[in-house]
Amino acid sequence: MTTGIELKNLRKMYESHGHAAWAVDGVDMTIGAGKFVTLLGPSGCGKTTTLRMIAGLEIPTSGQILRDGMDITDQPVTDRDMRMVFQDFALFPNMTVEENVAFGLRVRRMKGSISESEIRKRVAQFLDLVHLADHGQKKPHQLSGGQKQRVSLARALVTDPKVVLFDEPLGSLDANLRKIMQIELIRLHRELGKTFIYVTHDQDEAMAMSDAIAVMSGGKVVQFGAPREIYDRPVNRYVASFIGHAHIVDAEVDGRESDGLTLRLRNGERVALPHQNTSAGVGSPVGLMLRAEDLTFVDQAPGAIGGRIADSLYRGEYIEYVVELHEGAGVVHVHSRTDMPLVRHGASVALKVNPAKAHVLVH
Amino acid sequence: MTSSAYVAGRGQAGARSARRLERRRLLFWLLPPVAWFTVFMLIPYGMLLYTSLGHVDDMRFIPGLSIDNFIRVFTVDPYLGVIFKSARIGVMTAILSAIVAYPLAFYIAFHVRSARAKFLLYLLVIVPWWASYLVKAYAWKTILGSGGILNATLQGIGLTDGPVRLFLYNEFSVVLTLTYIFTPFAVLSIYAQLERIPTSLIEAARNLGADGWTIFRRIILPISVPGIVAGAIITFSLAFGDFVAPVLVGGPDSVMISNVVINLLGVAFDWPMAAAIGVVIIALGLLLISASGWLEEKTQTRF
Repeated sequence: MTTGIELKNLRKMYESHGHAAWAVDGVDMTIGAGKFVTLLGPSGCGKTTTLRMIAGLEIPTSGQILRDGMDITDQPVTDRDMRMVFQDFALFPNMTVEENVAFGLRVRRMKGSISESEIRKRVAQFLDLVHLADHGQKKPHQLSGGQKQRVSLARALVTDPKVVLFDEPLGSLDANLRKIMQIELIRLHRELGKTFIYVTHDQDEAMAMSDAIAVMSGGKVVQFGAPREIYDRPVNRYVASFIGHAHIVDAEVDGRESDGLTLRLRNGERVALPHQNTSAGVGSPVGLMLRAEDLTFVDQAPGAIGGRIADSLYRGEYIEYVVELHEGAGVVHVHSRTDMPLVRHGASVALKVNPAKAHVLVH
Repeated sequence: MTSSAYVAGRGQAGARSARRLERRRLLFWLLPPVAWFTVFMLIPYGMLLYTSLGHVDDMRFIPGLSIDNFIRVFTVDPYLGVIFKSARIGVMTAILSAIVAYPLAFYIAFHVRSARAKFLLYLLVIVPWWASYLVKAYAWKTILGSGGILNATLQGIGLTDGPVRLFLYNEFSVVLTLTYIFTPFAVLSIYAQLERIPTSLIEAARNLGADGWTIFRRIILPISVPGIVAGAIITFSLAFGDFVAPVLVGGPDSVMISNVVINLLGVAFDWPMAAAIGVVIIALGLLLISASGWLEEKTQTRF
C-alpha cells in the first residue's frame, strides 16, 4: 500500500537577531500518493519552509516526515527521490538545455545505473514532453521565462521521481503564461501520475490545479481539504477571506430549527438559512459569508436583505456592484450579468441569498 | 499640404539646432577627461616613443628615427632574458595567488552565513593594503632572513641546526613576497564571481543527487573561471612590473625588468634604451589585456 507523504507535528524554528520564531509550528498532514496537493498561504506562513523540509533542504527542529510509512526525516537531500522546481528556475547557466536536463541522470550514471545512450534518449523524450525539442542546444539565458520553467520541469521529471515539489514555480511569469503553464502542469500530473506538492500564494492557481489544498497561516495548517470544500465551507474568517472574494457580514443567531437557523443582522434584518450545520447557539455572534456570485437582486420580498448601490465596476464578463447594507450592517459585492439592466448608483436594492451556498462562520 | 510641409521643415530645423546644442554640451562635458587623457596619457606615450627612437651621445640625447634600441631589446643580453624571467615570476605569482585565493573566496562566498562575518573577512583581506608596500616587503625580510622568525622557529623545534639561507635572496622569496602582497586582488575578483552564483543552483544540484565534488566541478568551477582569469591578469601584471621585491628580498640573479629600466635611467643614463623597453612592455601588456579580455568574454557565464 502506498500512503505517500506524512508530516507529523513538523516544526521549524528560525533564529534571527537573537530572537527565535517558529516558521513552521506543528504541521500534520497526509499527502496521498499520486495526488496534487497545494500548500497555500501569504508569504511568511511557512509553506515554503514546509516544502523545503520535505525536500530535505531544511532540517526540521522537531517532528517527523514519513514516506510510504518510512521515516525519512534524517535522510540527506541527495538520497530523497524527490525533485524540486524552483521559483527562479535554478537552471545551471553554464550548461545547455540538454545538459541541464541530463544533469540528474549523469549524476546517476556515475553510480553506474544508466547508460549514456539511454540518457540521450530520455532527455530528448522529456524535452519533447515540455515542447522544447528544438531548444536543446541553447543556453538558459537565451530562453524566455516560460521556456526556462519548462526546462526546469523536464529536469525534475526526467529522473522519474515519485514526488515532485514546486516552490511557486509560476511566480515570476506573467498572467497569460501562468494560465498556460497551469494547464500544462495539470496535464503532466494526469499523464505521469506522480505526487505533486505545490506551494503558492495564488488562490486561483491552487483552486484550479489541486486535488487538495492546505491553507496555512502562522506556520500552521488552518484547513486541509478539497478546493470545493475550502471554497464553500471555510472553517474561519481567515480562510473565507483568503479564498475567493468573500464578504463577511456580522450577525447573531436568532433562532435554531431542526436543520437550519435564522440569523439577525446588525440592522435587525433576518436571514433564514435552511440546512446549516453549525454548533452556534442562539444569541451567539457569527459571521455570514456572502460571495458575490451567490447573491441576486430581487424585487422587495420577505427574507431579502436591503441595501444601497455604492459603486459599480464593469468587469467585462460581469458587472460588479458594491452594495452597502442598510444602517451599516456591512458591505457585500454582487455579480450581475452584463445583459441585465444597469442598476443606478445610489439606488435601493433587495438581495436574495442562495441558501445552498450561504455559510455561517463561528470563528 | 503646404502647411504640413512647412511644419515638417520647421521641425527638421528645430531638430538640427537641438542636435547642435547637444553636441556642444557633450563637448563641454568631454573636455576635462579628454584633456586629462591627452596630458597624462597621449603626450607621455608620445614622448616615450619619441625617446625610444633616438640615442644618447656624450651624455646628450640625440633625437632620431632609429629602431636600433628595439633590435637591442631582442638581441642583446640580458634584456629579453630578463623580460622572460619577469614573466615567469609573474606567472608563478598569478598561479600561487589563485591557489591561495580560491579556497578563501569560496569560503567567504559559500560558508560564511552572516553578512557581518562576510564583511569582516572581506575587510581582513583588504586591510593589509592600508600598510605601505615597503613595510610589507620588509616584513618578509624579517620572516625569511637567517635571524628571522621562520629560522628561529625551525631551530627552536629542532628541525634544523643552523639558519637556512635558502629562504631569502632568491626567486622563491620574490615570488612568495609578491604572492603575499597581490593575493587580495585575486581573492576579490574570484569572490565577486562566486557571489553571483545563486544558492538555488547549489540546492537544485543537491536535489538532483549531486555530491559536493560534482557540484564544484560541474557548476561552481566553470562559472568562476572568468574571476580566476581576471585575478590572474591583475596579479601577473603587478608582479611583472614590480621592482621593490627583487631589491629587498631578491638575490643577485633575481633582477626584474623594472630594475633594468631603473638602472638604464639612473646609472647608465641610457634613456632611449629604457624607453624602448618601456614600449615593448606596453605592447606586450596590450596584447595580454586583449587576450585576457577575449578569454574572460569566452568563459563568462550569462545568467
